[in-house]
Amino acid sequence: MAEQIPLALGFQPRATFDEYWPGANAEPVRHLEAIADGDGERFILLWGDEGSGKSHLLQATCRSAHRRGDSAAYLPLRLLRPLGAEIFEGLDDHALVCIDDLDAIAGQSEFEQGLFGLYNRLRDGNATLVVSAAGPPQQLDIGLPDLRSRLSWGLVLRLVPLDENDTLAAIALYARQLGLELSPQVSRFLLAHCRRDFTSLRHLLERLDRATLAAKRRLTIPFIKALLEELA
Amino acid sequence: MSSLWSHCINKLEGELPPQQFNTWIRPLQAIEGPSELRLLAPNRFVLDWVKQHFIGKIEAVVAGLGKQPPVSVVLEIGSRKAPVTAEQAPPSRKAVPSRRMGASSLNATFTFESFVEGKSNQLAKAASVQVSQNVGRAFNPLFIYGGVGLGKTHLMHAIGNEILMGNPSANIVYLHSERFVSDMVNALQHNSINAFKEYYRTVDALLIDDIQFFAGKERSQEEFFHTFNTLLENKHQVVLTCDRYPKEIKGLEERLKSRFGWGLPVAVEPPDLETRVAILMSKAQQAGVDLPPEVAFFVGKRIRSNIRELEGALRRVIANAEFTGREITLDFAKEALRDLIALQDRLINVENIQKTVAEYYKIRVADLLSTKRNRSVARPRQLAMALSKELTNHSLPEIGQFFGGRDHTTVLHACRRVRELKEGDSKFLEDFSNLMRILSN
Repeated sequence: MAEQIPLALGFQPRATFDEYWPGANAEPVRHLEAIADGDGERFILLWGDEGSGKSHLLQATCRSAHRRGDSAAYLPLRLLRPLGAEIFEGLDDHALVCIDDLDAIAGQSEFEQGLFGLYNRLRDGNATLVVSAAGPPQQLDIGLPDLRSRLSWGLVLRLVPLDENDTLAAIALYARQLGLELSPQVSRFLLAHCRRDFTSLRHLLERLDRATLAAKRRLTIPFIKALLEELA
Repeated sequence: MSSLWSHCINKLEGELPPQQFNTWIRPLQAIEGPSELRLLAPNRFVLDWVKQHFIGKIEAVVAGLGKQPPVSVVLEIGSRKAPVTAEQAPPSRKAVPSRRMGASSLNATFTFESFVEGKSNQLAKAASVQVSQNVGRAFNPLFIYGGVGLGKTHLMHAIGNEILMGNPSANIVYLHSERFVSDMVNALQHNSINAFKEYYRTVDALLIDDIQFFAGKERSQEEFFHTFNTLLENKHQVVLTCDRYPKEIKGLEERLKSRFGWGLPVAVEPPDLETRVAILMSKAQQAGVDLPPEVAFFVGKRIRSNIRELEGALRRVIANAEFTGREITLDFAKEALRDLIALQDRLINVENIQKTVAEYYKIRVADLLSTKRNRSVARPRQLAMALSKELTNHSLPEIGQFFGGRDHTTVLHACRRVRELKEGDSKFLEDFSNLMRILSN
């Protein structure tokens, strides 16, 4: 059918396994690492709330498989949806395909049929498929029963939200990656005064990083307060 | 169709469950004489089955028509006319083109040995075995239909694998219908449609999965129609799977629907508890895992919808045991499947069953809970109680409470009555199966 649409889909530079704080999610992470090593399950559905790190882990899996010499494709559906159901074509020769945000196309029959076809082709070709979604297969708004039953056939894994200590550890890890010095007091302040999902916290840290660089100041609580007031 | 036989058909269609009628009665052809109704079965398998299970019923129906002189029923193997009309000259058989189309190889693990047989799928399995032993001659096409995740694809691969065992050089092509369509589009784009035709029309057995996806794709249907005819003319085997009976596929040309029904349409139903447990034990064994029977029983009891979900649940338990290094016990399985089971319980509960049953019979939920005893309410109520017992983990007294505070003996009686009605009343059995399907998906 159609040639694969050339996509400029780089992975986020920091999306690696090392830079993910697993908290209580060691089991899903280990399964994905095994897939990246070419020695894992054939099909995984990874689900969890927004900000639980699904995109990060899918990219880390692709990147790691790619480094090992496997061809891997990462498809963020929320981003690719405008291109139509043809995004599922031309992927048959990959050893690993990671599809992010299944929810973005759930209920849209052309996309569902496209993904169903891709699933069958990858299965026949002995390739691996990882799909991420906001919920388990039974809860997704999928119209095609054939697709839903295939999604529940594989290993379904949940990313649980990080508890307070793990969130503190995760933002400390992320700040270190940015080269940002984050005292325990500052971490706790962020947790108490800002949205606690990890995506929001990560964006805030990036913002703080840029602001401290621009102002040539250290990251202190008064500095954050001033910035938050400015943002509000 | 002869008039006597068409009378019988109408009568039998009302008396037998649709699955049995479609599988065994519909394929029979009739030759009617003054004192004899000669019924032709397409092969020995159908002949034997009809003889064992239906001949008495057929004779009773014929006798009931009161013909003078009395008509005797004779059953034999044969065919009134060749089922395929020659609409085109069959292409000469040449070597398979070197370019492989989208054909995918068979999955070697899907064999008859690894297929767990139960009441729900034994007909489909028996027919599949027949086909693999009498390629192109037993049932052509073999049409396996049923809901998602019930083992249709497994049977299809098993047929292919079995044929290959007997004849390793046989050219067997398995593919999903969607692949047939995309190969054809490709061939059209690259001006290689003749190679495409040649390729598919010269295989020894063509196995196409999920043909409901041909719906609405007219050009593909046209091409498949000709491929199909050519294969049947040359006595090459065609096996098809679908999520429903041929006549019920929307967006499919009538001539294809009718042709799909020529061979043997055979259904696979959702597995019962014993079969689900057997499937789990067998899958665990294949994975080299020691699964205690009580765990298999627990998982089988809680996951009822289809085999894929059942396997998914088992995969979860095994993966979790490997990760934590813990032994698989009942408590461990409950813990590993906690999320999944909580979800199932939310989706299937007594209120939901009552609502679904009431909608199905077009009555009110309040009627189900009322003291009304007329049949139009009592039957659905009994059915809803029996479904609650089957699909939830509530006790008999609890279910009684849900139905307007009835006694547990009433619920017990309802379960027994439903079991009897399922055996003797085909319309009731159909209602039961439909409701099970609606509630399990």
